[in-house]
Amino acid sequence: MSTKLLLVEDNELNRDMLTRRLIRKGFEVVTAEDGLEALEKMRQYHPDVVLMDLNLPILSGWEACKIAANDPDLADIPMLALTAHALEKELKKALDAGCKDYATKPIDFPVLLRKIAGLLNP
Amino acid sequence: MSSTSTATALSRQRIVELNDLLNETLAELDKADLFEESTLLATSLSALTAGHTEALSRHDLLNYYTSACGYAEILLEELDDTAHISLQTGLTNLVTAIRELSETPEGVAKANSSYKLEPITTTVGSILVVDDQSDNRTVLERLLSRVGHTVYTADSGEAALDQLTRHPIDIVLLDLSMPGMGGKTALTKIKADPKLRSIPVIVISGHQDLDSVVECITLGADDYLFKPFNSVLLHARIAAGLDRKQWHDRELNYLHQLEQRERFIRATFGRYLTDEIVADILEKPEGLRLGGDLKEITILMADIRGFTQLCSQMPPEQVVSLLNGYLGTMTEIIMRHNGTIDEFLGDAILAVFGAPKDDPNHAQSAVACSVEMQQAVAAVNRQHRTANLPQISTGIAINTGTVVAGNIGSDRRAKYGFVGTPMNVTSRIEDLCEANEILISDATKQALRNGDRLYDKGTHSLKGIDQPVRIFGVKWQN
Repeated sequence: MSTKLLLVEDNELNRDMLTRRLIRKGFEVVTAEDGLEALEKMRQYHPDVVLMDLNLPILSGWEACKIAANDPDLADIPMLALTAHALEKELKKALDAGCKDYATKPIDFPVLLRKIAGLLNP
Repeated sequence: MSSTSTATALSRQRIVELNDLLNETLAELDKADLFEESTLLATSLSALTAGHTEALSRHDLLNYYTSACGYAEILLEELDDTAHISLQTGLTNLVTAIRELSETPEGVAKANSSYKLEPITTTVGSILVVDDQSDNRTVLERLLSRVGHTVYTADSGEAALDQLTRHPIDIVLLDLSMPGMGGKTALTKIKADPKLRSIPVIVISGHQDLDSVVECITLGADDYLFKPFNSVLLHARIAAGLDRKQWHDRELNYLHQLEQRERFIRATFGRYLTDEIVADILEKPEGLRLGGDLKEITILMADIRGFTQLCSQMPPEQVVSLLNGYLGTMTEIIMRHNGTIDEFLGDAILAVFGAPKDDPNHAQSAVACSVEMQQAVAAVNRQHRTANLPQISTGIAINTGTVVAGNIGSDRRAKYGFVGTPMNVTSRIEDLCEANEILISDATKQALRNGDRLYDKGTHSLKGIDQPVRIFGVKWQN
Protein backbone atom coordinates (compact mmCIF):
# COMPACT_ATOMS: atom_id res chain seq x y z
CA MET A 1 0.00 0.00 0.00
CA SER A 2 1.33 3.39 -0.95
CA THR A 3 2.13 6.09 1.54
CA LYS A 4 -0.73 8.52 2.08
CA LEU A 5 0.13 12.21 2.36
CA LEU A 6 -2.15 15.07 3.30
CA LEU A 7 -1.02 18.26 1.59
CA VAL A 8 -2.47 21.40 3.14
CA GLU A 9 -1.85 24.43 0.93
CA ASP A 10 -4.13 27.33 0.03
CA ASN A 11 -2.21 28.43 -3.05
CA GLU A 12 -3.78 26.58 -5.95
CA LEU A 13 -0.71 26.43 -8.17
CA ASN A 14 1.50 25.20 -5.38
CA ARG A 15 -1.04 22.63 -4.31
CA ASP A 16 -1.33 21.36 -7.87
CA MET A 17 2.41 21.36 -8.46
CA LEU A 18 3.31 19.53 -5.26
CA THR A 19 0.46 17.06 -5.76
CA ARG A 20 1.72 16.25 -9.25
CA ARG A 21 5.29 15.84 -8.09
CA LEU A 22 4.36 13.68 -5.10
CA ILE A 23 2.05 11.47 -7.15
CA ARG A 24 4.87 10.99 -9.65
CA LYS A 25 6.99 9.74 -6.76
CA GLY A 26 4.35 7.15 -5.94
CA PHE A 27 2.60 8.82 -3.02
CA GLU A 28 -1.12 8.86 -2.56
CA VAL A 29 -2.04 12.54 -2.03
CA VAL A 30 -5.05 14.02 -0.30
CA THR A 31 -5.31 17.81 -0.25
CA ALA A 32 -6.88 20.47 1.94
CA GLU A 33 -7.05 24.23 1.42
CA ASP A 34 -7.36 25.54 4.95
CA GLY A 35 -6.65 24.53 8.53
CA LEU A 36 -10.18 23.42 9.24
CA GLU A 37 -10.35 21.21 6.17
CA ALA A 38 -6.93 19.83 7.14
CA LEU A 39 -8.26 18.63 10.50
CA GLU A 40 -11.32 17.09 8.82
CA LYS A 41 -9.17 15.25 6.28
CA MET A 42 -6.80 14.06 9.02
CA ARG A 43 -9.73 12.52 10.86
CA GLN A 44 -11.19 11.09 7.68
CA TYR A 45 -8.06 9.66 6.03
CA HIS A 46 -5.56 9.38 8.84
CA PRO A 47 -2.61 10.16 6.52
CA ASP A 48 0.92 8.89 7.15
CA VAL A 49 2.39 12.39 6.97
CA VAL A 50 0.86 15.87 6.83
CA LEU A 51 2.57 18.61 4.80
CA MET A 52 1.16 21.81 6.21
CA ASP A 53 1.48 25.34 4.90
CA LEU A 54 1.32 27.58 7.95
CA ASN A 55 -0.24 30.69 6.50
CA LEU A 56 -3.75 29.41 5.85
CA PRO A 57 -7.18 30.98 5.73
CA ILE A 58 -10.03 30.18 8.15
CA LEU A 59 -7.79 28.32 10.58
CA SER A 60 -4.05 28.91 10.34
CA GLY A 61 -1.58 26.07 9.96
CA TRP A 62 -0.14 26.80 13.41
CA GLU A 63 -3.56 26.52 15.02
CA ALA A 64 -4.41 23.37 13.07
CA CYS A 65 -1.08 21.78 14.10
CA LYS A 66 -1.65 22.67 17.75
CA ILE A 67 -5.15 21.18 17.69
CA ALA A 68 -3.94 18.00 15.93
CA ALA A 69 -0.99 17.60 18.31
CA ASN A 70 -3.35 17.75 21.28
CA ASP A 71 -5.98 15.43 19.83
CA PRO A 72 -5.31 11.82 20.98
CA ASP A 73 -6.66 10.49 17.63
CA LEU A 74 -4.36 12.66 15.54
CA ALA A 75 -1.32 13.20 17.74
CA ASP A 76 0.54 10.27 16.17
CA ILE A 77 0.40 11.72 12.64
CA PRO A 78 3.73 13.40 11.91
CA MET A 79 3.38 16.91 10.54
CA LEU A 80 5.88 18.79 8.39
CA ALA A 81 5.56 22.57 8.12
CA LEU A 82 5.86 24.22 4.71
CA THR A 83 6.97 27.70 5.53
CA ALA A 84 7.82 30.80 3.59
CA HIS A 85 9.98 31.96 6.46
CA ALA A 86 13.47 30.64 7.00
CA LEU A 87 13.69 32.70 10.17
CA GLU A 88 14.72 30.93 13.34
CA LYS A 89 11.76 32.41 15.20
CA GLU A 90 9.23 31.17 12.64
CA LEU A 91 10.72 27.71 12.55
CA LYS A 92 10.63 27.49 16.32
CA LYS A 93 6.99 28.55 16.24
CA ALA A 94 6.24 25.69 13.80
CA LEU A 95 8.06 23.15 15.95
CA ASP A 96 6.30 24.47 19.06
CA ALA A 97 2.95 24.00 17.35
CA GLY A 98 3.71 20.30 17.05
CA CYS A 99 5.43 19.97 13.68
CA LYS A 100 8.21 17.42 13.59
CA ASP A 101 10.10 19.09 10.74
CA TYR A 102 9.86 21.87 8.18
CA ALA A 103 10.70 22.78 4.60
CA THR A 104 11.12 26.34 3.40
CA LYS A 105 9.70 27.79 0.21
CA PRO A 106 10.66 27.63 -2.60
CA ILE A 107 10.56 23.94 -1.83
CA ASP A 108 13.70 21.97 -2.60
CA PHE A 109 11.95 18.79 -3.70
CA PRO A 110 14.73 16.24 -3.04
CA VAL A 111 15.15 17.71 0.44
CA LEU A 112 11.38 17.50 1.00
CA LEU A 113 11.40 13.84 -0.07
CA ARG A 114 14.23 13.07 2.36
CA LYS A 115 12.36 14.78 5.17
CA ILE A 116 9.17 12.84 4.41
CA ALA A 117 11.16 9.62 4.43
CA GLY A 118 12.69 10.66 7.76
CA LEU A 119 9.23 11.12 9.27
CA LEU A 120 8.00 7.78 7.93
CA ASN A 121 10.97 5.87 9.35
CA PRO A 122 12.12 7.72 12.40
CA MET B 1 21.63 50.65 -9.18
CA SER B 2 23.06 48.36 -6.53
CA SER B 3 24.55 45.01 -7.40
CA THR B 4 21.69 43.08 -5.86
CA SER B 5 19.10 44.91 -7.90
CA THR B 6 21.17 44.25 -11.02
CA ALA B 7 21.12 40.59 -10.11
CA THR B 8 17.39 40.82 -9.54
CA ALA B 9 16.84 42.47 -12.89
CA LEU B 10 18.96 39.82 -14.59
CA SER B 11 17.01 37.03 -12.94
CA ARG B 12 13.79 38.64 -14.03
CA GLN B 13 15.08 38.96 -17.53
CA ARG B 14 15.71 35.21 -17.50
CA ILE B 15 12.16 34.54 -16.41
CA VAL B 16 10.83 36.64 -19.26
CA GLU B 17 13.06 34.86 -21.78
CA LEU B 18 12.04 31.49 -20.53
CA ASN B 19 8.39 32.35 -20.82
CA ASP B 20 8.96 33.27 -24.47
CA LEU B 21 10.79 30.01 -25.01
CA LEU B 22 7.90 28.14 -23.38
CA ASN B 23 5.44 29.85 -25.68
CA GLU B 24 7.50 28.81 -28.67
CA THR B 25 7.89 25.22 -27.53
CA LEU B 26 4.35 24.72 -26.32
CA ALA B 27 3.21 22.73 -29.33
CA GLU B 28 6.08 20.29 -28.85
CA LEU B 29 5.52 20.15 -25.12
CA ASP B 30 1.92 19.32 -25.90
CA LYS B 31 3.06 16.32 -27.93
CA ALA B 32 5.31 15.22 -25.07
CA ASP B 33 2.19 15.27 -22.85
CA LEU B 34 3.63 18.10 -20.82
CA PHE B 35 1.08 20.63 -21.93
CA GLU B 36 -0.51 21.05 -18.54
CA GLU B 37 2.72 21.43 -16.64
CA SER B 38 4.12 23.93 -19.11
CA THR B 39 0.93 25.98 -19.10
CA LEU B 40 0.91 25.99 -15.33
CA LEU B 41 4.54 27.01 -15.30
CA ALA B 42 3.69 29.88 -17.64
CA THR B 43 0.83 30.85 -15.33
CA SER B 44 3.18 30.90 -12.34
CA LEU B 45 5.71 32.96 -14.29
CA SER B 46 3.04 35.39 -15.38
CA ALA B 47 1.95 35.82 -11.81
CA LEU B 48 5.55 36.51 -10.83
CA THR B 49 6.19 39.22 -13.38
CA ALA B 50 2.82 40.64 -14.28
CA GLY B 51 2.04 44.19 -13.29
CA HIS B 52 -0.04 43.23 -10.29
CA THR B 53 2.91 41.49 -8.64
CA GLU B 54 3.69 44.59 -6.64
CA ALA B 55 0.53 43.97 -4.71
CA LEU B 56 1.55 40.41 -3.83
CA SER B 57 2.59 39.69 -0.30
CA ARG B 58 5.92 38.05 0.42
CA HIS B 59 3.99 34.90 1.21
CA ASP B 60 2.20 34.86 -2.17
CA LEU B 61 5.37 35.71 -4.02
CA LEU B 62 7.20 32.78 -2.44
CA ASN B 63 4.27 30.57 -3.35
CA TYR B 64 4.63 31.50 -7.01
CA TYR B 65 8.39 30.98 -6.84
CA THR B 66 7.69 27.56 -5.40
CA SER B 67 5.15 26.55 -8.01
CA ALA B 68 7.26 27.91 -10.89
CA CYS B 69 10.31 26.02 -9.61
CA GLY B 70 8.31 22.86 -9.11
CA TYR B 71 6.72 22.85 -12.56
CA ALA B 72 10.08 23.66 -14.15
CA GLU B 73 11.63 20.71 -12.33
CA ILE B 74 8.83 18.40 -13.50
CA LEU B 75 9.52 19.48 -17.10
CA LEU B 76 13.24 18.95 -16.59
CA GLU B 77 12.62 15.45 -15.30
CA GLU B 78 10.37 14.52 -18.21
CA LEU B 79 11.93 16.22 -21.21
CA ASP B 80 13.80 14.16 -23.71
CA ASP B 81 17.48 14.86 -23.10
CA THR B 82 18.40 15.60 -26.67
CA ALA B 83 15.28 17.09 -28.18
CA HIS B 84 14.85 20.24 -26.14
CA ILE B 85 18.28 21.42 -25.23
CA SER B 86 17.50 25.13 -25.31
CA LEU B 87 14.38 24.66 -23.26
CA GLN B 88 16.27 22.55 -20.74
CA THR B 89 18.94 25.20 -20.42
CA GLY B 90 16.18 27.79 -20.01
CA LEU B 91 14.48 25.76 -17.32
CA THR B 92 17.71 25.16 -15.44
CA ASN B 93 18.47 28.86 -15.62
CA LEU B 94 14.97 29.59 -14.40
CA VAL B 95 15.30 27.39 -11.36
CA THR B 96 18.60 29.07 -10.54
CA ALA B 97 17.12 32.50 -11.15
CA ILE B 98 14.17 31.84 -8.90
CA ARG B 99 16.35 30.49 -6.13
CA GLU B 100 18.52 33.59 -6.39
CA LEU B 101 15.51 35.87 -6.40
CA SER B 102 13.90 34.23 -3.42
CA GLU B 103 17.08 34.82 -1.47
CA THR B 104 17.52 38.51 -2.30
CA PRO B 105 15.54 40.88 -0.14
CA GLU B 106 14.33 42.73 -3.24
CA GLY B 107 13.24 39.57 -4.95
CA VAL B 108 10.73 38.90 -2.25
CA ALA B 109 10.02 42.48 -1.36
CA LYS B 110 8.81 43.96 -4.57
CA ALA B 111 8.67 42.74 -8.11
CA ASN B 112 9.69 44.89 -11.00
CA SER B 113 6.78 45.60 -13.24
CA SER B 114 8.90 46.69 -16.18
CA TYR B 115 9.04 43.15 -17.51
CA LYS B 116 5.58 42.09 -18.39
CA LEU B 117 4.84 38.68 -19.74
CA GLU B 118 2.26 37.77 -22.25
CA PRO B 119 0.45 35.10 -20.30
CA ILE B 120 -0.39 31.95 -22.23
CA THR B 121 -3.57 31.91 -20.29
CA THR B 122 -4.30 33.35 -16.91
CA THR B 123 -8.02 33.81 -17.07
CA VAL B 124 -10.49 31.06 -17.70
CA GLY B 125 -14.01 31.25 -19.00
CA SER B 126 -16.89 29.38 -20.58
CA ILE B 127 -16.27 28.50 -24.18
CA LEU B 128 -18.71 27.14 -26.70
CA VAL B 129 -17.09 24.94 -29.35
CA VAL B 130 -19.20 24.64 -32.48
CA ASP B 131 -18.05 22.05 -34.99
CA ASP B 132 -19.91 19.30 -36.82
CA GLN B 133 -16.98 16.88 -36.60
CA SER B 134 -16.81 15.15 -33.27
CA ASP B 135 -13.01 14.65 -33.53
CA ASN B 136 -12.47 18.38 -33.81
CA ARG B 137 -14.81 19.01 -30.91
CA THR B 138 -13.00 16.50 -28.75
CA VAL B 139 -9.56 17.94 -29.51
CA LEU B 140 -10.68 21.49 -28.76
CA GLU B 141 -12.57 20.43 -25.67
CA ARG B 142 -9.51 18.66 -24.32
CA LEU B 143 -7.14 21.51 -25.13
CA LEU B 144 -9.39 24.08 -23.53
CA SER B 145 -10.55 22.21 -20.47
CA ARG B 146 -6.96 21.28 -19.65
CA VAL B 147 -6.18 24.91 -18.94
CA GLY B 148 -9.27 25.32 -16.85
CA HIS B 149 -11.90 26.62 -19.28
CA THR B 150 -15.43 25.32 -19.01
CA VAL B 151 -16.27 23.88 -22.41
CA TYR B 152 -19.69 23.43 -24.01
CA THR B 153 -20.08 21.91 -27.45
CA ALA B 154 -22.53 22.08 -30.31
CA ASP B 155 -22.54 20.20 -33.62
CA SER B 156 -24.55 22.68 -35.66
CA GLY B 157 -25.61 26.30 -35.86
CA GLU B 158 -29.00 25.48 -34.36
CA ALA B 159 -27.41 23.60 -31.45
CA ALA B 160 -25.02 26.52 -30.91
CA LEU B 161 -27.86 29.02 -30.58
CA ASP B 162 -29.61 26.63 -28.23
CA GLN B 163 -26.50 26.30 -26.03
CA LEU B 164 -26.12 30.06 -25.97
CA THR B 165 -29.54 30.45 -24.43
CA ARG B 166 -28.80 27.77 -21.83
CA HIS B 167 -25.34 28.72 -20.59
CA PRO B 168 -23.48 31.93 -19.83
CA ILE B 169 -20.91 31.70 -22.63
CA ASP B 170 -17.83 33.96 -22.77
CA ILE B 171 -16.49 33.00 -26.19
CA VAL B 172 -17.76 31.08 -29.19
CA LEU B 173 -15.37 29.08 -31.35
CA LEU B 174 -17.31 28.67 -34.56
CA ASP B 175 -16.54 26.34 -37.43
CA LEU B 176 -17.77 27.75 -40.73
CA SER B 177 -18.68 24.73 -42.79
CA MET B 178 -21.36 22.68 -41.14
CA PRO B 179 -24.42 20.93 -42.53
CA GLY B 180 -27.76 22.50 -41.60
CA MET B 181 -27.35 25.97 -40.23
CA GLY B 182 -23.80 26.92 -41.19
CA GLY B 183 -21.34 29.07 -39.30
CA LYS B 184 -22.11 32.25 -41.22
CA THR B 185 -25.83 32.03 -40.52
CA ALA B 186 -25.20 31.26 -36.86
CA LEU B 187 -22.79 34.20 -36.67
CA THR B 188 -25.36 36.52 -38.25
CA LYS B 189 -28.00 35.38 -35.78
CA ILE B 190 -25.69 35.81 -32.79
CA LYS B 191 -24.73 39.32 -33.83
CA ALA B 192 -28.38 40.24 -34.46
CA ASP B 193 -29.45 39.19 -30.97
CA PRO B 194 -29.02 42.03 -28.46
CA LYS B 195 -28.45 39.52 -25.65
CA LEU B 196 -25.74 37.57 -27.48
CA ARG B 197 -24.15 40.31 -29.57
CA SER B 198 -21.40 41.07 -27.07
CA ILE B 199 -20.06 37.50 -26.95
CA PRO B 200 -16.82 37.36 -28.95
CA VAL B 201 -16.95 34.88 -31.82
CA ILE B 202 -13.73 33.33 -33.11
CA VAL B 203 -14.26 31.82 -36.51
CA ILE B 204 -12.45 28.62 -37.39
CA SER B 205 -12.01 28.18 -41.08
CA GLY B 206 -11.07 24.82 -42.51
CA HIS B 207 -9.42 26.22 -45.60
CA GLN B 208 -7.01 29.11 -45.68
CA ASP B 209 -9.78 31.06 -47.26
CA LEU B 210 -9.16 34.68 -46.56
CA ASP B 211 -12.32 35.75 -48.37
CA SER B 212 -14.66 33.92 -46.03
CA VAL B 213 -12.70 35.20 -43.03
CA VAL B 214 -13.08 38.75 -44.30
CA GLU B 215 -16.77 38.12 -44.83
CA CYS B 216 -17.13 36.83 -41.26
CA ILE B 217 -15.33 39.83 -39.81
CA THR B 218 -17.77 42.02 -41.71
CA LEU B 219 -20.60 39.97 -40.24
CA GLY B 220 -19.25 40.74 -36.76
CA ALA B 221 -16.75 37.97 -35.99
CA ASP B 222 -14.10 39.13 -33.54
CA ASP B 223 -11.20 36.94 -34.57
CA TYR B 224 -10.33 33.93 -36.68
CA LEU B 225 -8.14 30.83 -36.69
CA PHE B 226 -7.18 28.55 -39.52
CA LYS B 227 -7.30 24.79 -39.27
CA PRO B 228 -5.18 22.94 -38.32
CA PHE B 229 -4.63 25.48 -35.60
CA ASN B 230 -1.60 26.10 -33.53
CA SER B 231 -2.46 25.63 -29.85
CA VAL B 232 -0.43 28.64 -28.74
CA LEU B 233 -2.33 30.83 -31.16
CA LEU B 234 -5.59 29.30 -30.00
CA HIS B 235 -4.87 30.09 -26.37
CA ALA B 236 -3.65 33.57 -27.18
CA ARG B 237 -6.80 34.37 -29.15
CA ILE B 238 -8.99 32.96 -26.42
CA ALA B 239 -7.17 35.00 -23.79
CA ALA B 240 -7.65 38.13 -25.88
CA GLY B 241 -11.33 37.32 -26.40
CA LEU B 242 -11.88 36.67 -22.72
CA ASP B 243 -10.21 39.93 -21.91
CA ARG B 244 -12.51 41.76 -24.30
CA LYS B 245 -15.54 40.04 -22.86
CA GLN B 246 -14.53 40.88 -19.32
CA TRP B 247 -14.08 44.55 -20.13
CA HIS B 248 -17.38 44.52 -21.88
CA ASP B 249 -19.10 42.84 -18.93
CA ARG B 250 -17.52 45.32 -16.56
CA GLU B 251 -18.74 48.19 -18.69
CA LEU B 252 -22.22 46.69 -18.88
CA ASN B 253 -22.26 46.22 -15.16
CA TYR B 254 -21.24 49.81 -14.66
CA LEU B 255 -23.88 51.03 -17.07
CA HIS B 256 -26.41 48.87 -15.30
CA GLN B 257 -25.50 50.47 -11.97
CA LEU B 258 -25.81 53.92 -13.49
CA GLU B 259 -29.18 53.06 -14.96
CA GLN B 260 -30.36 51.70 -11.65
CA ARG B 261 -29.30 54.90 -9.94
CA GLU B 262 -31.01 56.99 -12.52
CA ARG B 263 -34.13 54.87 -12.26
CA PHE B 264 -34.06 55.26 -8.51
CA ILE B 265 -33.76 59.03 -8.78
CA ARG B 266 -36.53 59.15 -11.34
CA ALA B 267 -38.75 56.93 -9.22
CA THR B 268 -38.04 58.98 -6.13
CA PHE B 269 -38.50 62.41 -7.62
CA GLY B 270 -40.57 61.64 -10.68
CA ARG B 271 -43.73 61.38 -8.66
CA TYR B 272 -43.35 64.91 -7.43
CA LEU B 273 -41.41 66.72 -10.12
CA THR B 274 -41.92 67.16 -13.79
CA ASP B 275 -39.69 65.13 -16.10
CA GLU B 276 -37.91 68.32 -17.04
CA ILE B 277 -36.80 68.97 -13.49
CA VAL B 278 -35.73 65.39 -12.90
CA ALA B 279 -33.66 65.52 -16.08
CA ASP B 280 -32.20 68.80 -14.88
CA ILE B 281 -31.21 67.33 -11.53
CA LEU B 282 -29.73 64.23 -13.17
CA GLU B 283 -27.66 66.35 -15.47
CA LYS B 284 -26.39 68.61 -12.73
CA PRO B 285 -25.94 66.49 -9.62
CA GLU B 286 -24.12 69.38 -7.95
CA GLY B 287 -27.58 70.94 -7.77
CA LEU B 288 -28.30 68.37 -5.08
CA ARG B 289 -26.07 70.08 -2.56
CA LEU B 290 -27.69 71.14 0.64
CA GLY B 291 -28.60 74.78 0.78
CA GLY B 292 -30.97 77.07 -0.97
CA ASP B 293 -31.75 80.29 -2.71
CA LEU B 294 -34.24 83.01 -1.95
CA LYS B 295 -36.92 82.76 -4.57
CA GLU B 296 -40.25 84.36 -5.27
CA ILE B 297 -42.75 81.62 -5.85
CA THR B 298 -46.46 81.01 -5.77
CA ILE B 299 -47.68 78.38 -3.37
CA LEU B 300 -50.82 76.33 -3.88
CA MET B 301 -52.50 74.24 -1.20
CA ALA B 302 -55.50 72.08 -1.87
CA ASP B 303 -57.41 69.70 0.34
CA ILE B 304 -60.64 67.79 0.35
CA ARG B 305 -63.25 69.36 2.57
CA GLY B 306 -64.70 66.99 5.13
CA PHE B 307 -62.31 64.23 4.22
CA THR B 308 -62.36 62.71 7.69
CA GLN B 309 -66.12 62.41 7.52
CA LEU B 310 -65.83 60.87 4.08
CA CYS B 311 -63.43 58.26 5.45
CA SER B 312 -65.87 57.14 8.10
CA GLN B 313 -68.57 56.56 5.47
CA MET B 314 -66.52 54.30 3.20
CA PRO B 315 -64.50 51.08 3.52
CA PRO B 316 -60.75 51.90 3.73
CA GLU B 317 -59.80 50.37 0.37
CA GLN B 318 -62.43 52.50 -1.32
CA VAL B 319 -61.05 55.59 0.44
CA VAL B 320 -57.56 54.76 -0.80
CA SER B 321 -58.70 54.18 -4.36
CA LEU B 322 -60.74 57.40 -4.31
CA LEU B 323 -57.81 59.35 -2.91
CA ASN B 324 -55.38 57.89 -5.44
CA GLY B 325 -57.71 58.77 -8.28
CA TYR B 326 -58.10 62.30 -6.96
CA LEU B 327 -54.39 62.88 -6.30
CA GLY B 328 -53.46 61.37 -9.66
CA THR B 329 -55.77 63.74 -11.51
CA MET B 330 -54.53 66.73 -9.52
CA THR B 331 -50.86 65.82 -10.02
CA GLU B 332 -51.34 65.67 -13.74
CA ILE B 333 -52.95 69.11 -13.81
CA ILE B 334 -50.26 70.66 -11.58
CA MET B 335 -47.46 69.26 -13.69
CA ARG B 336 -49.13 70.50 -16.84
CA HIS B 337 -48.95 73.99 -15.37
CA ASN B 338 -45.25 73.59 -14.52
CA GLY B 339 -45.95 73.26 -10.84
CA THR B 340 -43.85 71.13 -8.51
CA ILE B 341 -45.54 68.99 -5.92
CA ASP B 342 -43.71 69.51 -2.69
CA GLU B 343 -45.75 67.20 -0.56
CA PHE B 344 -48.88 65.11 -0.21
CA LEU B 345 -50.23 65.11 3.33
CA GLY B 346 -53.11 62.72 3.42
CA ASP B 347 -55.65 64.36 1.16
CA ALA B 348 -53.78 67.68 1.09
CA ILE B 349 -51.51 68.75 -1.75
CA LEU B 350 -48.75 71.32 -1.44
CA ALA B 351 -47.47 72.55 -4.79
CA VAL B 352 -45.26 75.42 -5.82
CA PHE B 353 -44.87 77.38 -9.03
CA GLY B 354 -41.66 79.15 -10.03
CA ALA B 355 -39.22 76.70 -8.42
CA PRO B 356 -37.03 74.78 -8.89
CA LYS B 357 -37.60 75.80 -12.49
CA ASP B 358 -38.04 79.52 -13.06
CA ASP B 359 -41.44 80.63 -14.26
CA PRO B 360 -41.96 84.41 -14.47
CA ASN B 361 -45.71 83.81 -14.63
CA HIS B 362 -45.84 81.64 -11.51
CA ALA B 363 -48.87 83.42 -10.04
CA GLN B 364 -50.73 83.18 -13.34
CA SER B 365 -49.85 79.49 -13.66
CA ALA B 366 -50.98 78.71 -10.12
CA VAL B 367 -54.36 80.41 -10.53
CA ALA B 368 -54.96 78.80 -13.93
CA CYS B 369 -54.02 75.50 -12.38
CA SER B 370 -56.41 75.93 -9.47
CA VAL B 371 -59.29 76.70 -11.82
CA GLU B 372 -58.59 73.57 -13.81
CA MET B 373 -58.33 71.55 -10.58
CA GLN B 374 -61.74 72.68 -9.41
CA GLN B 375 -63.22 71.92 -12.82
CA ALA B 376 -61.67 68.45 -12.69
CA VAL B 377 -63.18 67.83 -9.25
CA ALA B 378 -66.55 68.82 -10.62
CA ALA B 379 -66.10 66.32 -13.43
CA VAL B 380 -65.11 63.63 -10.95
CA ASN B 381 -68.23 64.36 -8.94
CA ARG B 382 -70.41 63.91 -12.01
CA GLN B 383 -68.89 60.42 -12.40
CA HIS B 384 -69.34 59.71 -8.70
CA ARG B 385 -73.00 60.60 -8.93
CA THR B 386 -73.60 57.97 -11.60
CA ALA B 387 -71.51 55.43 -9.69
CA ASN B 388 -73.34 56.26 -6.50
CA LEU B 389 -70.15 57.33 -4.75
CA PRO B 390 -69.86 60.19 -2.27
CA GLN B 391 -69.24 63.69 -3.61
CA ILE B 392 -65.95 65.39 -2.85
CA SER B 393 -65.21 69.06 -2.66
CA THR B 394 -61.90 70.84 -2.59
CA GLY B 395 -60.72 74.12 -1.17
CA ILE B 396 -57.64 75.71 -2.77
CA ALA B 397 -55.49 78.46 -1.27
CA ILE B 398 -52.84 80.39 -3.22
CA ASN B 399 -50.19 82.79 -1.96
CA THR B 400 -47.13 84.44 -3.46
CA GLY B 401 -43.96 85.39 -1.63
CA THR B 402 -40.23 84.98 -1.22
CA VAL B 403 -39.08 81.72 0.36
CA VAL B 404 -35.89 79.76 0.75
CA ALA B 405 -35.96 77.08 -1.93
CA GLY B 406 -33.44 74.27 -1.95
CA ASN B 407 -32.30 71.00 -0.48
CA ILE B 408 -33.26 71.11 3.13
CA GLY B 409 -32.38 68.54 5.72
CA SER B 410 -29.28 66.57 6.69
CA ASP B 411 -26.82 64.68 4.50
CA ARG B 412 -28.69 61.48 5.19
CA ARG B 413 -32.12 62.73 4.51
CA ALA B 414 -32.72 65.81 2.44
CA LYS B 415 -35.46 66.91 0.12
CA TYR B 416 -36.02 69.77 -2.20
CA GLY B 417 -38.33 71.99 -0.21
CA PHE B 418 -39.38 75.48 0.71
CA VAL B 419 -39.20 77.40 3.95
CA GLY B 420 -40.62 80.80 4.85
CA THR B 421 -43.59 82.73 6.17
CA PRO B 422 -45.43 82.66 2.81
CA MET B 423 -45.74 78.90 3.29
CA ASN B 424 -47.47 79.35 6.64
CA VAL B 425 -49.66 82.13 5.28
CA THR B 426 -50.89 79.80 2.54
CA SER B 427 -51.78 77.19 5.10
CA ARG B 428 -53.79 79.77 7.08
CA ILE B 429 -55.65 80.91 4.00
CA GLU B 430 -56.44 77.27 3.28
CA ASP B 431 -58.13 77.13 6.71
CA LEU B 432 -60.49 79.91 5.53
CA CYS B 433 -61.46 78.07 2.35
CA GLU B 434 -64.92 76.72 2.01
CA ALA B 435 -65.98 73.87 -0.24
CA ASN B 436 -65.28 74.42 -3.94
CA GLU B 437 -63.56 77.72 -3.23
CA ILE B 438 -60.30 79.19 -4.52
CA LEU B 439 -58.79 81.87 -2.31
CA ILE B 440 -55.74 83.94 -3.18
CA SER B 441 -53.76 86.47 -1.16
CA ASP B 442 -53.27 90.09 -2.08
CA ALA B 443 -49.64 89.26 -2.93
CA THR B 444 -50.77 86.82 -5.57
CA LYS B 445 -53.30 89.33 -6.90
CA GLN B 446 -50.45 91.86 -7.29
CA ALA B 447 -48.44 89.33 -9.26
CA LEU B 448 -51.30 88.56 -11.62
CA ARG B 449 -51.52 90.48 -14.85
CA ASN B 450 -55.28 90.60 -14.75
CA GLY B 451 -57.77 90.26 -11.96
CA ASP B 452 -60.88 89.62 -14.06
CA ARG B 453 -62.33 86.74 -12.15
CA LEU B 454 -61.50 87.95 -8.65
CA TYR B 455 -63.87 88.98 -5.92
CA ASP B 456 -62.92 90.63 -2.64
CA LYS B 457 -63.19 88.49 0.49
CA GLY B 458 -61.99 91.21 2.87
CA THR B 459 -59.01 91.50 5.19
CA HIS B 460 -58.34 88.73 7.67
CA SER B 461 -55.95 88.44 10.56
CA LEU B 462 -54.40 85.03 10.41
CA LYS B 463 -53.25 82.99 13.36
CA GLY B 464 -49.51 83.37 13.96
CA ILE B 465 -49.12 85.99 11.20
CA ASP B 466 -48.38 89.60 12.22
CA GLN B 467 -49.96 91.52 9.35
CA PRO B 468 -53.59 91.05 8.38
CA VAL B 469 -53.94 89.67 4.86
CA ARG B 470 -56.42 90.74 2.23
CA ILE B 471 -58.02 87.79 0.53
CA PHE B 472 -59.67 87.43 -2.86
CA GLY B 473 -61.81 84.67 -4.26
CA VAL B 474 -61.45 83.29 -7.79
CA LYS B 475 -64.55 82.56 -9.85
CA TRP B 476 -63.94 79.28 -11.61
CA GLN B 477 -67.36 78.01 -12.67
CA ASN B 478 -68.19 78.91 -16.24
